[in-house]
Amino acid sequence: MRSTPTPTLNIDRRTFDPKWLIIGLIVVFLVIFQVLPLFYLVIKAFFPNGHLSLSAFKRVYTYPMNWSALKYTVITATATMFLGILFAFPLAWLIGRTNLIGSKFFRTLFVTTYMVPPFVGAMAWMRLLNPSVGTLNILIMKLFNLSKAPFDIYTMGGLVWVLTGFYFPYAFITISRAMEKMDPSLEEASRISGATPLQTLAKVTMPMMLPSIVAAGLLVFVTAGSCYGIPSIIGVPGQIHTVTTRIIDFVYIGSQEGLTDATTLAVFLMLIANIVLYVSTFPLAKKQFITVSGKSTRPNMVDLGRWRIPISLIVSIFALIVVIIPFFTVASTSFTVNLGKPLTEAGNLTLRYWERIFTRKAIISSARNSLLSASAAATFGMIITCMMAYLLVRTKAKGRKIPDFLITVGSGTPSVVIALALIMTMSGKFVINIYNTLTIMIIAYMIKYMLMGMRTVVSALTQISPSLEEAAQISGAGWFRSLRDVTLRLIAPSVVAGWFLIFMPCFYELTMSTLLYSNNTKTLGYELYTYQTYHSQQTASALATAILVMVILVNWLLHKLTKGKFSV
Amino acid sequence: MAGIIIENVSKSFGETVVLSDFSSEFKDREFVTLLGPSGCGKTTMLRMIAGFEKPTAGIIRIGNRTVNAPDTFIPPEKRDIGMVFQSYAVWPHMTVFENVAYPLRIKRQDKQTVRQKVEQVLDTVHLSQYAQRIPSQLSGGQQQRVALARALVAEPQLLLLDEPLSNLDAKLRDSMRFEIKEIQKKLGITVVFVTHDQIEAMTMSDRVIVINRGVIQQMGTPSEIYRHPVNQFVADFVGKINFFDATIEEGLLTITGTGQQLDYHGPHTGNVVIGIRPENVRFASRQSDLRGKLASQFYLGDVNDCRIDIGGILMRVIAEPSTYAKYQEGDEVFLRVEDFSVFDDVGFDDHRRILT
Ligand SMILES: Nc1ncnc2c1ncn2[C@@H]1O[C@H](COP(=O)(O)OP(=O)(O)O)[C@@H](O)[C@H]1O
Ligand SMILES: [Mg+2]
Repeated sequence: MRSTPTPTLNIDRRTFDPKWLIIGLIVVFLVIFQVLPLFYLVIKAFFPNGHLSLSAFKRVYTYPMNWSALKYTVITATATMFLGILFAFPLAWLIGRTNLIGSKFFRTLFVTTYMVPPFVGAMAWMRLLNPSVGTLNILIMKLFNLSKAPFDIYTMGGLVWVLTGFYFPYAFITISRAMEKMDPSLEEASRISGATPLQTLAKVTMPMMLPSIVAAGLLVFVTAGSCYGIPSIIGVPGQIHTVTTRIIDFVYIGSQEGLTDATTLAVFLMLIANIVLYVSTFPLAKKQFITVSGKSTRPNMVDLGRWRIPISLIVSIFALIVVIIPFFTVASTSFTVNLGKPLTEAGNLTLRYWERIFTRKAIISSARNSLLSASAAATFGMIITCMMAYLLVRTKAKGRKIPDFLITVGSGTPSVVIALALIMTMSGKFVINIYNTLTIMIIAYMIKYMLMGMRTVVSALTQISPSLEEAAQISGAGWFRSLRDVTLRLIAPSVVAGWFLIFMPCFYELTMSTLLYSNNTKTLGYELYTYQTYHSQQTASALATAILVMVILVNWLLHKLTKGKFSV
Repeated sequence: MAGIIIENVSKSFGETVVLSDFSSEFKDREFVTLLGPSGCGKTTMLRMIAGFEKPTAGIIRIGNRTVNAPDTFIPPEKRDIGMVFQSYAVWPHMTVFENVAYPLRIKRQDKQTVRQKVEQVLDTVHLSQYAQRIPSQLSGGQQQRVALARALVAEPQLLLLDEPLSNLDAKLRDSMRFEIKEIQKKLGITVVFVTHDQIEAMTMSDRVIVINRGVIQQMGTPSEIYRHPVNQFVADFVGKINFFDATIEEGLLTITGTGQQLDYHGPHTGNVVIGIRPENVRFASRQSDLRGKLASQFYLGDVNDCRIDIGGILMRVIAEPSTYAKYQEGDEVFLRVEDFSVFDDVGFDDHRRILT
């Protein structure tokens, strides 16, 4: 037997595979800036002075104000979860499955709300339901001749209401997507078996959707529980502190003890978030009945019959109250000189706040910071996610799931926790000192929001046949070349969509910016928040309205770019 | 009694007309097949009978009830119909037993009756030992039988089947074809069956309705459709066929371009198209209807599939297997034409464009 020399084969075997280099670099980045800081946070909570001590826990959790913060957080998050599902499921069903009037419009409306910064809702409801001057309160008092304002926004109920209004879209989107994936003939089979539309809803649709409903509920629970913007505007004035507001208070104290206390509370938040993340990725995902329909893409129209008009009317009123009136309130606030008087009164209309947001140096510099850090986070985030998505979908490279897992964990971690962990580890204690720079902001944003881009690119890639790339490789193009010439071209719209999905929430980010800002690195979200709380609600409203318009424009752009596939 | 009367039914989705002026009557206990290429509107027709779509115009009656009319609409759950969906639509969150029991439970039948009827129907479809399984533990064929059992359990008078066999492998398809037919005979129900597979249509149906582009082309028994297709589309869609241009003059038909002639005594004259099914041509030992040269032959075991040059054009002939050894490519052969159809030359080859 003659042995044929195969030099090329030998060389190939030893050539370093660039895939591993990329996976390695991404993992190193995530380990340094995400995994280690979070670990350090946990360790610090248990070993505050270098040795195991639960004294910090004792101190923090026996302090009544912290206890009440914990209690309030759990109660408001739970209530928001139930109320959110109570709104989201019927809406998803009505919009996805029935002949509701204007269902396309409602869908777009609720989906757009998802991209709106949550504190905008807080600003609006504060104006509407302030116990003494709230416009809606006054209106209702006049209408029904009441002597006392019917609602007070600075209560637990108020907090839950505002949280729900801005987090139910999370549940709506999750449930709607699952419902779209469900083969409509499963419901038709029930109808033809003799079940009415309502029986079908109860016995087929609901049970099949249950895993998604639970997942959606958990998502709302965690996001509401780790929200900072809304409780800081609505809760704090009414002495309702939550874990997030307490953590930020402790950090602002500035002392070592304050930081330890913040850490201890943050561990609680992280624990809950991680459990929820675990439950909704593993056991729940497995239970999800994937019944993607084959040919049958017809919408299974349930005829609402004589209920069609009344139900459409109720949905319209809901949309009006939860989405349109708040947006309108914020917009009109930005034009009002004296907030105690109606906008229509002579001399009460002004453009001065709009002029201010485009001319005041501090605002412009903050906007520039936000633009810069959001663009950087989106760009670096997309570079990482594109490569990761490619490795995940297209290759069998070992360890390709590690960065995916880390990115999922990062985005599931509450913003306060991420920021706190970065502060504690990145301020020079361990070699790296990026505290007080935009870099730390960019890294925090990436950890929190990269997943959005990842999901978009992964789903686009899954739809492109691998043979297209293989054809390029057969034609002599290398891995990078075929990636660039074929794959990137095809997924370009989704990449742009993913870029904006990272960019938008970073652009108006509040929670992490509040902890990470320095005098030179203030951001738009922070600026908006301080104007709202300390200086001028009108200026804050003008900023919020500008962001709102931008969100709508970007959403519209995404819709055009991806032909309706990605608009969130 | 569950005959169906369909009167002048049309259906459009927005601008697109999917079915136009569909009229037919299905008799009680009849097995009727809607046959046509995919996209021709079969499913849409079936869904209108079921009540999942409303006709744009026309009337549908089931038994002695009007279920669809301009001013009447009976929702699917009140139509008392069994239906098997193409995707089976077996509910993944229920066991086989629960799936099949569902129509009875909706009708609030007592536990004893439910158990008894479900067991009986599961026995009919040979699934008794799988009653407590969940659907994801079943094969495609078994899921399909669950769907069938669920459609039958409430003893409907009418069963609708939308390409129920298309997702099964060839062997299973053969046996299910037989079983569905048996069940229909045993239960004495009316069946409307939708398929694009002509073999399914031919073997199972009492009557076949051939549809193309939303228009009924022909209705009749399988043999009528096969032997006397009314137009080129039907001739081509059902079975195999050779088409040749020809002219008819004084009882003699001349195949254009070949000079060969056949006797013809029918109503057509002038320019026509003739259709000759490959299996209606036999090899003859001496001068017969046509003559040609054997261009190629493929031995398929049960038949010999040949192409014969009859003077510049090729004709496909499906001959007995024994001919394969007798002839060689290039040999001169004589052919006897046992049957052929004549169609008016409509001036365009519509039938070819529609083929799936
Ligand atoms: N809900 C719908 N909206 C618009 N067009 C439809 C709808 N349902 C079916 N069609 C169209 O009607 C035609 C017939 O469809 P279908 O009845 O499913 O055909 P078949 O079952 O014969 O394959 C197709 O061209 C299809 O695209
Ligand atoms: Mg069909």
